[in-house]
Amino acid sequence: MSASRSEHVLGLAVAIAAAVIVWSPQLAGQASKNRPMIAGCPSVSAKFHPCALEKAKTFTPPRMPDGTPNLQGIWDAPLAMGFQNIEDFPGDRSPGGFGPAVSVIVDPADGRVPYFPWARAQRDENIKKYIDPYAQCLPTGVPRQMANFRTRQITQSGNLISIVNEAGGHIYRVVYMDGRPHLSPAFKLWMGDSIGHWDGNTLVIETTNLNGRWWYDSEGHFASDALKVTERLTLVDNDTMHYQATMEDPTVYTRPWTIVFPLERIKEKGYEQMEEACHEGDHDAAGFVLGGYQPYPGVRFP
Amino acid sequence: MTRTVFALIAVACLSRSAEAQSRIPRTGDGKPDLSGIWQVMNTAYWDIQDHNAQKGVPAGIGVVDGNELPYTPEALAKKKSNYDKRATLDPETRCYLPGVPRATYLPFPFQIVQSSSQITMLYEYAHTVRNVFMNTPHIEGQLYWWMGDSRGRWEGDTLVVDATDFNDETWFDRAGNFHSDGLHVIERYTLTDADHIAYEATIEDAKVFTRPWKMSMILNRHKEKNFRLLEYECFSF
Repeated sequence: MSASRSEHVLGLAVAIAAAVIVWSPQLAGQASKNRPMIAGCPSVSAKFHPCALEKAKTFTPPRMPDGTPNLQGIWDAPLAMGFQNIEDFPGDRSPGGFGPAVSVIVDPADGRVPYFPWARAQRDENIKKYIDPYAQCLPTGVPRQMANFRTRQITQSGNLISIVNEAGGHIYRVVYMDGRPHLSPAFKLWMGDSIGHWDGNTLVIETTNLNGRWWYDSEGHFASDALKVTERLTLVDNDTMHYQATMEDPTVYTRPWTIVFPLERIKEKGYEQMEEACHEGDHDAAGFVLGGYQPYPGVRFP
Repeated sequence: MTRTVFALIAVACLSRSAEAQSRIPRTGDGKPDLSGIWQVMNTAYWDIQDHNAQKGVPAGIGVVDGNELPYTPEALAKKKSNYDKRATLDPETRCYLPGVPRATYLPFPFQIVQSSSQITMLYEYAHTVRNVFMNTPHIEGQLYWWMGDSRGRWEGDTLVVDATDFNDETWFDRAGNFHSDGLHVIERYTLTDADHIAYEATIEDAKVFTRPWKMSMILNRHKEKNFRLLEYECFSF
């Protein structure tokens, strides 16, 4: 028992070390500086967004046997920096902290979440008082699943599309493409209920039934369980995807808002996603608790 | 006359079985299509062996061929001790990943997403994921994974999955049946008609058992309209 335990912990440590090396905050923070261009477009979200959509108009995507665009593969989101902060971020002041980072919000143009004033205050309180649920190995929710560290695999099979992540413990979504209705609003799920359809070459996914218990990022940005997320996934070239998500939650935001970032294909032949057992080996949350932080209670309506 | 009748019955049975085989769904490349949402109707989650009912535990006929598990004497003692402390010692009570083959017979549905190079199993329990990579060798060296390293191949119409590289931290059931990190599971998934999979798992673990043993059960397809996996995010409660 102890041998395998230590091996497991060692394995986890190696994985974390690797993650830290690959995702060094400094590297991540400078990602858009180090990678000023992607797929012939500026990599900063506000500029990537119009440029990539224009390019997509002239790109003919590979097709599945049923004629729908083939988005299958393993996708990385290095420029989303795992959503350390979806807004402009001067950088974490702690040693080894993340940032600086540029907002992934393309609408509104100021790159800020259009919170009601009470909700902006609650976001500020979140980071002072509460633990990022993801740091406790809880599921990412949507859209953080698509920005999260390491990779996600998209598989198109029959009447569904599955999106399975490597990191974050164990998370996945099944997107039904068969025109079924959403679940009853009584259901509240970490990963929501995702229904998809094709709009030309763009995969459109509408997600409801989210439970509002996760954050968008490590900086306390939040939604309620009334949130609806509409994602649009469009191939720009064989190895780059334009990812867009629009959030609507009239209980928390004054208007809908939209994020955009590129997804990049892992081209290594035979690349396989591995197991990450987060909760099973997690000791991070204990540190947060010792630091006086509390589990996130969800939205507190005034 | 009698002989003719038997022969006719035999032919009828054969053709019925052939008919069932031809009715199984197939993918574009002609392989059996295991896609769908599946669930057992048994009590193996609580105890893979024959057992009487207890408060909160339904009685059940075991899923182990021959019922007895060939534990070494030391391992049998540990199993008994596990059983006595099962309410707190079962790793599943701590919401850990369920391991293999226990993931298959949890009292939750799971979904198979199939492509020619990979068969992915998505479990409702704790968003557990298992990737079965087809026609590829195991990862080199020993890993210690909760769900193991799974490699699949087709033997005729049967999906055979060879799973290794486990840790020793999962149990087979709530009754304390356990394994070591030497666990090797060979699973066979065979569609017997459109809606049933005959599932077998052969267990090898020389550190715990004196010989290989096998369990078998039926996986039933969920056919309810718009059925989908929900969530059991175990440690969020």
